[in-house]
Amino acid sequence: MLRLFLCLVGLILALRIQSTAAESDYQESLHLQPLPLGALLASFAFRSNESVTSFGNQNFRFFPRSLGQILQHSNTKELHLRFSTGRWNADTWGARPWQGKKEGGTGVELWAWIDAGDDEESFHKWTTLTQSLSGLFCASLNFVDSTRTTRPVRSFSPEGHHEVSKDHLHLLHGVLPGEVVCTENLTPFLKLLPCKGKAGIASLLDGHKVFDASWQSMSIDVRPVCPTGADECHIEILQTIDMVLDIERAKRPRDNPIPRPFPADQLSCDESKPYHSHDTCYPKESTEEIGWSIEEVFGRKIPGACPLIDEEWKPLCLHVPHERKVYVPFGAFEVKNPPSESTEYRCYHFRPEEVFNLEVTPQKLNTQLKLPHEPLRAERTIVGHGAANGGIRTILTNPSPLEPVQLVYFENLPWFMRPFIHTLKADITSSSPSSPPNNTYTPSNWQVIKEMYYVPAIDRQRGTQLELLLSIPASSTVTLTYDFEKAILRYTEYPPDANRGFNVAPAVIKVLNQTYTTITTHRSISDLSVASIGLREGTRDGNVYIRTTSLLLTLPTPDFSMPYNVIILTSTVMALAFGSIFNLLVRRFVGADEAPGYDLRGFRDRVGGRLVRIRDRFRGRKAEKVD
Amino acid sequence: MSLLVNSLRRLRSHPQLHKIPPYISLLCIVGGIIWLLLLPLNQYSRQTYISENALLPGQVHTYFAGSEQNIFRGYREELRSVVKESGGEAHSSRENNVLWIDTISAIFKTAGLPTATQYFEDHAAGNLTSGTNIYSVLHAPRGDGTEAIMLLAPQQNARGEHNINGIALLLTLARYFKRWSLWSKDIIFLITPDTDGGPQAWISAYHSTHDPQTVESLPLKSGALQGAICVDLPFDHRFEKISISYDGINGQLPNLDLVNTAVSVASGQMGIGTTIQGMHHHDDSYRARLMTMLQGMISQAVGHGTGAHSVFMPYHIDAITLTAAGDGWQDEMALGRTVESIFRSLNNLLEHFHQSFFFYLLMQANRFVSIGTYLPSAMAVAAGFTIMAIHLWIRSGHVELRSELPGQCINAEAALAEKPSLDAHGLAHPPPNRQTQHIDRQLLKPILLILLAHLSGLIPLYLSHHTTYSHLPQTSLFTSFILLILPTLVSALSTLLPAQQYNLTKSLSLLLLGLSLSALATLNFSLSLALGLLCTPILFATRDRSIPGYLSRVALMVISPMGLWLLASTYFAFWVGNPGRVGDVLARMAFGWNVLGAWGVGVGIWGVWWPAWVVVATLAMTREVREGERG
Repeated sequence: MLRLFLCLVGLILALRIQSTAAESDYQESLHLQPLPLGALLASFAFRSNESVTSFGNQNFRFFPRSLGQILQHSNTKELHLRFSTGRWNADTWGARPWQGKKEGGTGVELWAWIDAGDDEESFHKWTTLTQSLSGLFCASLNFVDSTRTTRPVRSFSPEGHHEVSKDHLHLLHGVLPGEVVCTENLTPFLKLLPCKGKAGIASLLDGHKVFDASWQSMSIDVRPVCPTGADECHIEILQTIDMVLDIERAKRPRDNPIPRPFPADQLSCDESKPYHSHDTCYPKESTEEIGWSIEEVFGRKIPGACPLIDEEWKPLCLHVPHERKVYVPFGAFEVKNPPSESTEYRCYHFRPEEVFNLEVTPQKLNTQLKLPHEPLRAERTIVGHGAANGGIRTILTNPSPLEPVQLVYFENLPWFMRPFIHTLKADITSSSPSSPPNNTYTPSNWQVIKEMYYVPAIDRQRGTQLELLLSIPASSTVTLTYDFEKAILRYTEYPPDANRGFNVAPAVIKVLNQTYTTITTHRSISDLSVASIGLREGTRDGNVYIRTTSLLLTLPTPDFSMPYNVIILTSTVMALAFGSIFNLLVRRFVGADEAPGYDLRGFRDRVGGRLVRIRDRFRGRKAEKVD
Repeated sequence: MSLLVNSLRRLRSHPQLHKIPPYISLLCIVGGIIWLLLLPLNQYSRQTYISENALLPGQVHTYFAGSEQNIFRGYREELRSVVKESGGEAHSSRENNVLWIDTISAIFKTAGLPTATQYFEDHAAGNLTSGTNIYSVLHAPRGDGTEAIMLLAPQQNARGEHNINGIALLLTLARYFKRWSLWSKDIIFLITPDTDGGPQAWISAYHSTHDPQTVESLPLKSGALQGAICVDLPFDHRFEKISISYDGINGQLPNLDLVNTAVSVASGQMGIGTTIQGMHHHDDSYRARLMTMLQGMISQAVGHGTGAHSVFMPYHIDAITLTAAGDGWQDEMALGRTVESIFRSLNNLLEHFHQSFFFYLLMQANRFVSIGTYLPSAMAVAAGFTIMAIHLWIRSGHVELRSELPGQCINAEAALAEKPSLDAHGLAHPPPNRQTQHIDRQLLKPILLILLAHLSGLIPLYLSHHTTYSHLPQTSLFTSFILLILPTLVSALSTLLPAQQYNLTKSLSLLLLGLSLSALATLNFSLSLALGLLCTPILFATRDRSIPGYLSRVALMVISPMGLWLLASTYFAFWVGNPGRVGDVLARMAFGWNVLGAWGVGVGIWGVWWPAWVVVATLAMTREVREGERG
């Protein structure tokens, strides 16, 4: 019996080890795509897996232990962390990579599903999570307190497969719009990777280049995934870094980064101008694509593929037309996608021991890759001026000539910004004149705001949460406005550099139910990176996320030297008054002649008296002797 | 204690004391002027200094040189050819302007900058001015779009000179700045057709406070504006100095740190001299300092701005204009490097400008007096009116009993010799046989009269700002004449006025005047001081039938809004030989009121000066009620 049992245990253990080996894996990919005006989109993605059982047993292979333990400790079932800086320039660069899902508002954004019994417990766990992550990522996440935490209702939905019942899953969301993302956040980010930025594409992630980008977003997503057909679920971590580099700027050598004026003979001038001469130059628009190489743009070559990835895996893809000439080292090989597909790209395979570089020459191209456009344009600004009140205006434009757009608009306002919801208005202001007239028709009773979820602020405890379900007719613009009043803070509540103003978190816009086909035609790279990583089902829901820029709110700010002046002045007055009154109260006043002894004369008299007595004694003795 | 109260009460009823206040008033006004004249002295003015540590002016090396000059020349020639083709009109219609707009937009786009245009119309004095602003936003490479700084160049500067060079410089700088990755704030490049309507339309649309009927909304926006620099290079030859203009609408001023940064960069780093207020030959003498300060005060009092930077001040955006001046050896690249260095300083700012002074008078590019030092002079002048008002109020509470003791005065010794009778509480009563007697004050009529006078100011205020341009001179002359004789007409209704009514009305009027002046002094010091000095005849106008009395009334008539205006019109028409100038000045005022929101002069003249003047002038035309007469 015992033997049978041991056999069973052994079998189970063997099975588990085998399954662990099969379940945990690691993949990474880099997609490079030149964008108009000399920009280059670099999209890094790293994915590791761990089975739920090994995760529970703290048997980490590719999954970072530091993060895994934090998640276990804080009962976090799904985690999304974003570090972003800069702005995505949708007019020039087209739609966002990953449909905006791997992007946060400026600064740091964090949301997580926490397994907890009630709201209070979930907030307690959330605090544990933010404090731990703050330490792990060197970010001020510990400042995500109750005023910065919200519980969105419609804007986010879990991406993983959760076994816990929905009642026990609590979504908490926090933003730090003023947080500056820098190298100290990148280093711990890279440390979570199995190859630690030493090999593979991660070796290109150098702080000097990443933080010189025009736009950059780092994301970490942890979620449970249960693949169909597999008997066990995984815990999956997907780390991405997306950035848009200015090729010309990135190509400058590190020891000489100053953009000095070119020598006059290197200027490209329009020589057809009548006034063109040796000292007069009208710059000519370059029609040629800029040449670049990985070494020039990232400052180094790839020292070889990460040895932990699959042998067959092609970690690097370049999205340029097939006619573009690309040079790679001898050992690497290139695979172009079949021309039947809507977009042209090629991927590269190279071995761990091979140094890889990729060089694209300057070239005049006949075909241009079509950039997909975004399903919605959003702009949010503060209107009005002055210290007492203001207004927020959000302009949402649906460029599609045919389809109306449904979206969830989510805002989290600080408590010192008091919106007046009765002034909330949504006007369909204009229809684009270029679209055909039959499509510009919008019914007069078109209801823009379909649903509204509003949690008013409580001073110093909770911020305002506003979620709106909006619907925008085809090719029209909706202007959402409301007024707000600025609160006056206590003077200790002002942060350092108070005159800069207060950052207001960006609005999160979730565009609903974009059909998958439109997305494919709209944006190639996002799908490709998804496809090559094998995450298709996770991002296929067709929702697109867009975040507005963060805002700067100026509050009435005191002259901070004033309180100190007052404090100093009152303290002086108090000290003087207290000193003299205390003196009067405790001191006993007596006449000079009434004072008992201890004055100089008394002392002198006493000393003199004693001397006289001693003398008398001597005299007396003398007298006795004489006697 | 009772001794003190007694002596105070005795002193209060001392007849000599009641003669002092007019002299104190005069002393206040003279003192205010003397105080002002002391300000340029070394002991009262201070050397400027940078308060905001973050600015670090002139600490960076500037690289705007070399082949950038070739590009500057290229842009300049391109713009010139466009101006030649389109006739060079800044204020032309949208259609005529297409080539100009396209050229500039193309230059911005080649530099890789998103560009937008804004069409605007301004209606003032029946005139329609229109134009198109062209602007571009350089997104800070790593910024989040919450803050922005601005570089602007008007097509025509404040003196109506073409600023092609300035615009070419702006375009070259835009292309140059694009290559740098160190910007922490967005940079907005704005080209406006003029220095007032264009920037005003743009800035109001930027804050969404514009009228969408006349001014287009901005399609491209950025964050909160932290500062703006306007470049003005109105000639082709090399320049000697940079003239810095800083006056804003309604006498608002930019933070002194911004001016100091520009001065420090230009003179300290670039070695280019700086001047202010058009005083190009400043020899650091008392006279030059005083002249500079007075020029600044006049400009502040008028409050209509001195360049494209002026319209930014009401929106709490600090802005200055850098104008190349003189004939020297500095070329446009030197101006460009100055702008580059100032922008690098602004880029360093962590907070909005707030450290340094917002209220100051500059008497040299690097000498200033702060509000604490200069404010007493305007306050002293305003106090002169209040003291007189209190004096008249006290006098209105008594009536002199001439019949009992005609023409006699009790001297001080006699009054002191009187033993005051003590009542049950030990308080002294005034001596029973004094010449005055308390009477009740009849306030209804004076208040009504003053209210009416204030309301009547609205009519000329409306007329001066809403008459069409062609009718402006005639209307102004006609209205001035009517208003000038109005006091005579009103006083003809009732020539006789009891002394109490006279004193009460004048007292209340002066009280309001003093109040308005001291309130105004905190908003626009120069305007308050100027109005205070112009109102001096009101203070001393009497209805005495004596030579000084007649003289005071003549002075009152001449130094009045209408009197001065008629004199100025006559001067322009007969001596200068340019009667159209009158209309131009009025049109300018109307434009300032309607478009720029410059309310200072309008409200100052018709809301403060005129009501006080018309009340006192009417009073001065009356006669006192004698024995047996009825008012």
